[in-house]
Amino acid sequence: MTKVHLSGVRKSFGSFTAIEHLELTIESGEFVVLLGPSGCGKTTMLRMIAGLEEPSAGSILLDGADVSNTPVQERNVGMVFQRAALFPHMTVEKNILFGLSVRGRPRGEMREKLEEMLEIVQLHDFRHRFPAQLSGGQMQRVAIARTLITEPSVLMMDEPLAGLDTKLRATMRRFIRDVQKRLRLTTIFVTHDQAEAMELADRIAVIFDGRLAQYAPPDLLYKRPSCMAVADFMGVSNIFPGTLVAKNRVESAFGQLRVDEQPRCPLGATVSLMLRAEAIDLHEHKEDTRFQAIEGRIVERDFLGASVVYTLECGATRIAVSEPSRRLLDVGRTVWLDIAPESVWLLSH
Amino acid sequence: MSSPIPPPNSAPRLFQPAQAAGRRPALGLALTLTPIAFVLVLLFGGAMLLAVLQSLGFAPWFGVNTFPSLTYFKALWASQFFWISVGLTLYYATASTMIALVLAIPLALALTKAFPGRGLYDYIYKLPLMIPYLVGIALAVLMLGNGGILSRLAAYVGLIDDPGQFPAILKTHYGWGIITVYVWKQTPFMTLAIYAVLLGVDRNTEEAAAVLGASPRAIFFRVTLPQILPGIVSSSLICFAFNMGAFEAPLILGGGFPDTLPVIAWRYFNDADYTLQLQGMAAVVSMGIISGVLLFAYLAAYRRYEMMIGRV
Ligand SMILES: Nc1ncnc2c1ncn2[C@@H]1O[C@H](COP(=O)(O)OP(=O)(O)O)[C@@H](O)[C@H]1O
Ligand SMILES: [Mg+2]
Repeated sequence: MTKVHLSGVRKSFGSFTAIEHLELTIESGEFVVLLGPSGCGKTTMLRMIAGLEEPSAGSILLDGADVSNTPVQERNVGMVFQRAALFPHMTVEKNILFGLSVRGRPRGEMREKLEEMLEIVQLHDFRHRFPAQLSGGQMQRVAIARTLITEPSVLMMDEPLAGLDTKLRATMRRFIRDVQKRLRLTTIFVTHDQAEAMELADRIAVIFDGRLAQYAPPDLLYKRPSCMAVADFMGVSNIFPGTLVAKNRVESAFGQLRVDEQPRCPLGATVSLMLRAEAIDLHEHKEDTRFQAIEGRIVERDFLGASVVYTLECGATRIAVSEPSRRLLDVGRTVWLDIAPESVWLLSH
Repeated sequence: MSSPIPPPNSAPRLFQPAQAAGRRPALGLALTLTPIAFVLVLLFGGAMLLAVLQSLGFAPWFGVNTFPSLTYFKALWASQFFWISVGLTLYYATASTMIALVLAIPLALALTKAFPGRGLYDYIYKLPLMIPYLVGIALAVLMLGNGGILSRLAAYVGLIDDPGQFPAILKTHYGWGIITVYVWKQTPFMTLAIYAVLLGVDRNTEEAAAVLGASPRAIFFRVTLPQILPGIVSSSLICFAFNMGAFEAPLILGGGFPDTLPVIAWRYFNDADYTLQLQGMAAVVSMGIISGVLLFAYLAAYRRYEMMIGRV
């Protein structure tokens, strides 16, 4: 359990700046996900914490101690690489034992810990296999066991599930989350998949172009994105222009909408109005609406199994609404949209 | 360290199903390869058979036919100089292969990194590959000989009083000249072969090892080296076999009698008495046996290793 702090970290490759002045604290025992599109600098950040890459400026602190000049071997961090990077010429056992073996640990201790690790990752039956004889999920489990056996102060994982199929990813996510909770390991997990990030993280750090765009727990990030880019990346479907005409009233294409007080936006400001598709209720009768009723016509219906997404036309604008698929409304019919003031999120420009 | 190595057939073999399913294509492949195999067998097998027959006294076209007799082998093997020759041949071949290997591995590793002057380096190290052995030998004479550039330079700088005092590099049985030429010519080849294998190695394995606490030394010996072994084995095999049989360098740069085996054979072949060709064949066949046995043992050991690490 170690607290990680990146203080003013910058990283340049030649004239290209991959990371720009990064301030980031990961509390001890916390599960933080670095989320961002490919090429935004996630891997570079992990490599700097591991000591595989040297920051061009700033420092990296583990439990308050500056490790910027500590060689990679002595940092005692763990890193799971994207393509597992198992040693192809060693069996599962020897892969897992590598970290202890290079430390010259006694044989008895190694045996004991090996069994413990095989138990955690459930690979008893595969102990004598070589990496080429394992599936993608098994390889990642070996990589995780190989890392955990050295009892790292921080566990870092670089898109460990990127190559796996959907079902296996779900299983592996649960597995990683369980292991992390059980060992209470400070964990930094990298992904470009926002659903994965939300499922795993205590806090998500959204990175764009080497800059920290927002650092917040998943629900907050989802409901209260700090900028358009984050909103877009988190998959907010409805974003409309508007003007704040009163403390809690915004003028938009749907007429005036009541919103919660928005201390961050000045009166009269041009804003972007964000409406999450599942925060809007659809009613067949206007009398059933509780907050503000907007008339709309269903022009499209996408059935997704558990939920159904409608595209509605309200005057000249289109809006997406999703609701549980318990009931299905027909395309072409007119319905009433009900928008709760607290579900509207404004971003000023 | 941990548990004993599993017997190689205990692990399920990945390629078995494909093999079983692919019986028909395998037959087609065998048919396609038949003409090539035919040429190989005829050209090499035929000549080899003839060489063995001659070494056993079969050469009616020279008016000699004592077949089968071991006279020529006995004459050769009974001489203590023959065994010195064998030793010299093995020494030149082994030493130059080892030195070239020790140079080639760090060079190949360096080639995967970016550094200033990398482009130029890329050209320069390949240069010896494009220059014939004989040119290399001539260069060695010019550079390393007693009247060569190095000796003059040493005299000029004042390390020695006279170029004649320069230590003998050529024409000694230490074979510095021979080894220099082989190393100079073969290091680039080995570098290239190892580099090619290195390109297929996941370099993240080395970084993973470092993060797991392995020192640079441990990373090299336990992670990198085992993964580039195929390149090392194939290139050292080729160089060793060539060095065993090459005769220009030992002939020109060597210390004279006792010569290496190829030079002995060459002298017999070149003799005015053409019936000595049979004696030469015995030398050639002896050389083939020695080199064949050694290389076979080398390959067998490597194969055992491959099985141990589950690659075969
Ligand atoms: N060794 C390097 N040399 C030059 N540029 C690099 C190097 N490593 C990464 N980069 C660049 O830095 C940026 C961030 O890379 P990376 O951290 O791998 O992104 P991510 O993991 O988020 O996809 C990319 O634009 C990449 O091209
Ligand atoms: Mg990456």
